[in-house]
Amino acid sequence: MTDILQILILGLALGGVIALMGSGLSLVFGVMRIVNLAHPSLIICGAYVSYWAFKLWGLDPIATLPIAALIMAAIGVLLYRLMFESQAKSARYSEMTVLLTFALAMIVEGFLGAAFTNTQRVTSPEYATDAFFIGSLFIPKGQLYAGCVSLAIIGALTLFLNYSRLGYAIRATTQNREAAELLGVNVNLISMIAFAIGIGLAGAAGSLVSFVFSFFPAKQWEWIAMLMSVVVLGGMGSVLGTVVAALLLSVIAAFVGTWVGATWSTMTFFLALFVILLIRPQGLFGEKPELA
Amino acid sequence: MSDLLQVTNITAGYGDGPAILDGARLTVEPGKVHCIIGPNGAGKSTLLKAICGMLTIRKGDVIFKGERLNGLRPDQILRKGICFVPQERALFPKMTVRENLRMGGYVLNDAKLRDRRIDEILERFPVLRERADQHAGTMSGGQQQTLAMARTLIVKPDIVMLDEPSLGLAPKIVQEMFDIMKMMSQEGVTVLLVEQNAMMGLKNSDWGVVLDLGRTLFEGPAEAVLADPRIQELYLGGRKVA
Repeated sequence: MTDILQILILGLALGGVIALMGSGLSLVFGVMRIVNLAHPSLIICGAYVSYWAFKLWGLDPIATLPIAALIMAAIGVLLYRLMFESQAKSARYSEMTVLLTFALAMIVEGFLGAAFTNTQRVTSPEYATDAFFIGSLFIPKGQLYAGCVSLAIIGALTLFLNYSRLGYAIRATTQNREAAELLGVNVNLISMIAFAIGIGLAGAAGSLVSFVFSFFPAKQWEWIAMLMSVVVLGGMGSVLGTVVAALLLSVIAAFVGTWVGATWSTMTFFLALFVILLIRPQGLFGEKPELA
Repeated sequence: MSDLLQVTNITAGYGDGPAILDGARLTVEPGKVHCIIGPNGAGKSTLLKAICGMLTIRKGDVIFKGERLNGLRPDQILRKGICFVPQERALFPKMTVRENLRMGGYVLNDAKLRDRRIDEILERFPVLRERADQHAGTMSGGQQQTLAMARTLIVKPDIVMLDEPSLGLAPKIVQEMFDIMKMMSQEGVTVLLVEQNAMMGLKNSDWGVVLDLGRTLFEGPAEAVLADPRIQELYLGGRKVA
């Protein structure tokens, strides 16, 4: 029983971080139909921001999270203007963005590799290697903090999307772009803002990831599959779905890792992606694909 | 009476494609219900889209209250006082009725004013009040169309343009939609609608505009258009329309 509770706690804490990693991907897909394959590489950029801030100046990665988020959001604005704005009217927009973001992922990886080499890095604030003990249970502080901060950010994002004027505009654009435009929403501007928020979330996730997982530029390939399975299970474009799916898959992966073998843990995500696409392609919270 | 909106011989089309409209004209008088009719592919919907700024006008003018609207974006034209309800998918299906109404007031900067008008609308349309917290996508076709029309009233527009509001609705419900339009026009909101069912559209309108192959054949009082022999020819004549 204690074992089960222990695995559950570890799974949930990691799931929180994975949820944050996936939420930006989901938001960007929901609003703009951009399948952003470069999302994990941008998470790694955020991780480097917090890593170097800690290494060089001893700054806590949770404290530098807003900075990483802002830097990445600004990069998001640049990327949007450079890569996506001019394509927005193209009929093959979604397919095009898959190729564009794939190229971007490779460029970012190459750039990071040249700048920082492919050495495994991990930010090591004291709490990253410390834990709370409750009876025979232990909760690693790093994972706990990262999980809690992630869920708090997602909570704030949800409040923002549901109650602010900008949030209304973003949701409206997601659901019906033409109707939103006809009601006075500047859908181009809203798309750019939503994209910037999505990439900002990647930056924020990067700061937390930097002390939870070890990372290096090529790590993105492992993460893209993991995040795609989370986003697909949640229903493409649904942030709530992403959170539920991340927690669910992460807990399952934790059990698989303990009972079957650590090497099989990551496989859970890939297998899930495969099975979901076969059985329920619209995911948990997504709509059935419409026949145009 | 002076014209509220005047469209003079415009040419317009989608992107770089061929001109769908070529020589379309229209006069809109305040406080009346205007109905655009014509066979399939005549350019009826395209005309509404051109007026509201969704398409670039290549030739001709759209004059509203003496001001030229050519080249303005849809959100700018909305702020001038022209509201467009597109065919079928006008709502945000996963937002509640109240949230949809709130989006209808997106251009209003005064949140209190917006909320007051939302309350007024819910008061006037009990069918919407009962479903205020229900997702719009789960309502019946008639309820959705009622919401789409009621939503335009939040910005108190001068003109409401409706693209086939009767599409897919049962005859009894269609009459309800026309009753709402009549009520709107009596309150001073000018209505401009596109209708596939010409007879029904004209019977419920004050003014008729007949469009064919992208140009206006003629326009006039609805009864006169209804009685015009050219209508019979257009709809019942031998000419095939693709």
